[in-house]
Amino acid sequence: MTGPLVIGRRTAGWCAVALMLVLVALVFEQIRDVLGPSGMAEGGPYDNAAAYPRGVTLVLLGLVALQIVVQVVARRRVPADGFTLRQLVRPAAVIAIFGLYLGLLGPLGFHLTSAPMLFAVMAVCGARQWWQMIALSLAISFGLAWFFESQLDVVLPGGIFHLNIPW
Amino acid sequence: MNFKTIVTGAVLALAAISGPALAEYPERTIESILPAGAGPAMSVSQIIADAMGKTLGVSLTVLATPGAGGIKAFQTGLNKSADGYTIIDGYVAPLVLQPILGKADWKYDDFIPLHAAASNAFAIGWRTDETRWSDFEGMMAWGKDNPGKLRYSSGQRNNLPHLVIAKMLQSYQVVAQNVPYDSPPTANNDVKSGILDFSFVNVGSYKQDPEALKIGLVLSDRPAAKAEFGGAPSITDINADLGLSGLAPMGWDWWLVKKNTPSERVEKLRAAMGTAMADPDVRTRIERLGFEPLDWDHTHYDEIVSGVRDQLSTMADAIKWEEDALKALK
Amino acid sequence: MFDMLLGGLGLVSSFSTAALVGAGLIIGLFVGALPGLGPLMGIILLLPYAITFPPVQAMGFLIAIYVGGSCGGAISAILLRIPGTPLAAATLFDGYPMAQNGRAADAIGIAISASALGGAFGGLILILFSPSIAAFAAGFGPPEYALLAITGLTAIAAVSDQSMLKGLIAGTAGLLLATAGTDEFTAAERFTFGLFEMSDGFNIVAIVVGLFAISEMSNLLTGNDLLDRPTLSIARPGFRTVLLVLRHWPNLLRSSSIGAFIGALPGAGGVISSFTAYAVAKTFSRADERYGEGAEGGIVASESANNATAGGALVPTLALGIPGDAVTAVLIGALLILGIFPGPTLFAQHSDIVGGIFLVYMLANIALFVVGILLTPLFVYVLRLRKLVLIPTVLLMCAIGTYAVGSSIFDLWVMFAFGIVGLILRAGGYPLAPMVIGVILGPLLENNVRRALLLSHDGLRIFIDRPVSATLVFINAALLLCVFFFTLRRHFAGRRSKPLPVNT
Repeated sequence: MTGPLVIGRRTAGWCAVALMLVLVALVFEQIRDVLGPSGMAEGGPYDNAAAYPRGVTLVLLGLVALQIVVQVVARRRVPADGFTLRQLVRPAAVIAIFGLYLGLLGPLGFHLTSAPMLFAVMAVCGARQWWQMIALSLAISFGLAWFFESQLDVVLPGGIFHLNIPW
Repeated sequence: MNFKTIVTGAVLALAAISGPALAEYPERTIESILPAGAGPAMSVSQIIADAMGKTLGVSLTVLATPGAGGIKAFQTGLNKSADGYTIIDGYVAPLVLQPILGKADWKYDDFIPLHAAASNAFAIGWRTDETRWSDFEGMMAWGKDNPGKLRYSSGQRNNLPHLVIAKMLQSYQVVAQNVPYDSPPTANNDVKSGILDFSFVNVGSYKQDPEALKIGLVLSDRPAAKAEFGGAPSITDINADLGLSGLAPMGWDWWLVKKNTPSERVEKLRAAMGTAMADPDVRTRIERLGFEPLDWDHTHYDEIVSGVRDQLSTMADAIKWEEDALKALK
Repeated sequence: MFDMLLGGLGLVSSFSTAALVGAGLIIGLFVGALPGLGPLMGIILLLPYAITFPPVQAMGFLIAIYVGGSCGGAISAILLRIPGTPLAAATLFDGYPMAQNGRAADAIGIAISASALGGAFGGLILILFSPSIAAFAAGFGPPEYALLAITGLTAIAAVSDQSMLKGLIAGTAGLLLATAGTDEFTAAERFTFGLFEMSDGFNIVAIVVGLFAISEMSNLLTGNDLLDRPTLSIARPGFRTVLLVLRHWPNLLRSSSIGAFIGALPGAGGVISSFTAYAVAKTFSRADERYGEGAEGGIVASESANNATAGGALVPTLALGIPGDAVTAVLIGALLILGIFPGPTLFAQHSDIVGGIFLVYMLANIALFVVGILLTPLFVYVLRLRKLVLIPTVLLMCAIGTYAVGSSIFDLWVMFAFGIVGLILRAGGYPLAPMVIGVILGPLLENNVRRALLLSHDGLRIFIDRPVSATLVFINAALLLCVFFFTLRRHFAGRRSKPLPVNT
């Protein structure tokens, strides 16, 4: 492990707590602003869509509160390790590529986007044998497409160009 | 040659082999979007899809898309291109009932009909060793004497059986509690074990185990429906007039495509579905499931569907009546 | 009973039946192992092909996909730390560490043998006790199912003892995530943000693939060995792995029984049974077995249970016509298309078909063992792939597999979002599996509690007025005490022997 810590284990713990608190806040906000005004947050089990989620959220809130106490009390016992910038660059790049891929999959279709995604991820991983990478990307993406489209009759996204191969 | 040329070349090659305008329609799998999960309805659609696929020369797959009373399936279909590769399996609930209840904003004539598919009747059943009543009128009398005590299930809330049962209860001024179940067989089982008082029974469940429940009332005036339920009493045999006739109280579907689908593709699909629905083998297999294959082609769509819509519109207040009556009891 | 099987034998004993079962198993193992698709989607996708055969052969093919798919998920769980199906989420606890210790082939062999033995045990129960178990299960109503869901939740506490609080938080969050979609009781859309794609809630496959795959791929990417060709020598797994499994016979019998029993209850399913069996096995384990660090018993428990569930689920399917789970609902659909109506009348009128289905189920499990072990080297080959090839391929398979489930791009975004959630939780030391079990148990708990309250004429009394329900209340209380006691005991015993490594 080289380089300075970017995210320590303690920070990661607080991020998870924050995520849960966002979830709790979202549920309460939706109950107040959406279910409440449409009359779905009152009455018995037949009419009240909010009672159960509200109950579960309160339990979650209680557990998170306990976790916060644990984190504060035990903060010295948590090992001071974590993730360095060097470790985070590649996952972040790949997640960004994957997100971009999902975004383009709808408009451009499976066949235009999959091989470039594979190629780009390989490049991020550090591969530099371009020809091999191109061949591999095309083989993997069309191989999987063949299996799903011709063997399982799944219709993969065709995008605005309607690119679907009639295998 | 660099990377860019290769990709461009590959794209052009792909476009050449799969350009939609170049080849004869249909050249790939067609999807039919079913607004339900696995069950008898899916089996019926699968039978029709297989027969059509054989005529068309491509696979026709049934995509089970349950959710939000069928609305999710319709929305999914409407979001696909109008290229004849997506068929919407237009069941009555999302096609007619949901717009009446204000949950969907389409009208039945926003779609192009291919052909009518099949209809299936509902009945209500109670346990075989029931002692509190022996026939339908008896149950209504018991329900009237014990307001709010009857527990029944129509499957999902606000679905077609719910509307019909609520209308029936309203006619007899009986207040009962609907208990939603996601799986009709489970609801029937809970009637059998005595937790529920009665429930809707679809013809598929009845066929699987005719002895499980006593069929008290078939919710249809069609003789064929009565026969499917072993000749049990139907709404023509009771004192009240529910104002329901024909397809109105039943489940049924027309296969539809989106507006703007090229007309030559629509005609191909219509011809294939017409052939499938006329095929005696297809008809027997559908009938074996307790469904009735329908003969109407696209020219009858407006007349039939608008008739059902008009009948269902007049009874939309029955569910509201039930809700208010239940609240008043508490 | 004997006549039934004898009658069925005539329908089963043909080369084409055996070939269809073999083909079904291979397809099942692959769709199970590919992240995303599982036995359910495998069966749905191949249904049109299956119904071109006579009933027993068609069932043989589909049941083989079910059996193979229930086991296949374990392969990716063990090799990649991604459960290929939610069913294998509990297999990951010990399967992955075992593979990391250099015993990948053994781990897969154990998973396959345990699946086959558990499945065969479930089959025996199916054949011997179908009518009586069906009658017992038919007595289960909403109060009992609600309590069963609570039993499942206690499993969370048991499986995540080193970070019980974090496990409970993840599980509760799972319960909450399951409330998104159309509320069954009010027909109101909850937490859908006006998106029609959300109207049936989050797709469970998208959740599982996202949570595990993206965090695991990111984890691999932090390493420095992306370009290296792994040099590990892979031992050939042998048929001897069955002996490794049989050494754990009390665990095997117990887990298979749990699996078959939960399978026989319509609405419960393989995920609940595998977690419960794992939790029970772990609770009764000795401290030196080190569950969670590559214990053979952990794989035996979850894999025998989820395959026994398949046998159990066929009980109400065939005997009552009530689907035991989503897969058997599709199987019923296939039978209906073929003109066969499962239910009591089937036993009376077509006992040879019932017998035939029993036999193809047993055949599928026996064949699973042979086919699975023979294919294992092929699967283990994945570990020889360089990570720079493995990572993009897995990502693409996750995308295509998740898309295929509902032909929905939206599901892919759900997967992506849960990938980010998984990253954050994993970095914070939260176990991910409890979230999956929470999502699965959520609807079972909520709908049955509300149903029970609607059915009851006097509130919560319904939970103690019914004998089975009252018994379950008692069992749940006892289980909680048990988990608490055994966890404490193991904690202290473990502390004395060696400090437990944190990190899961």
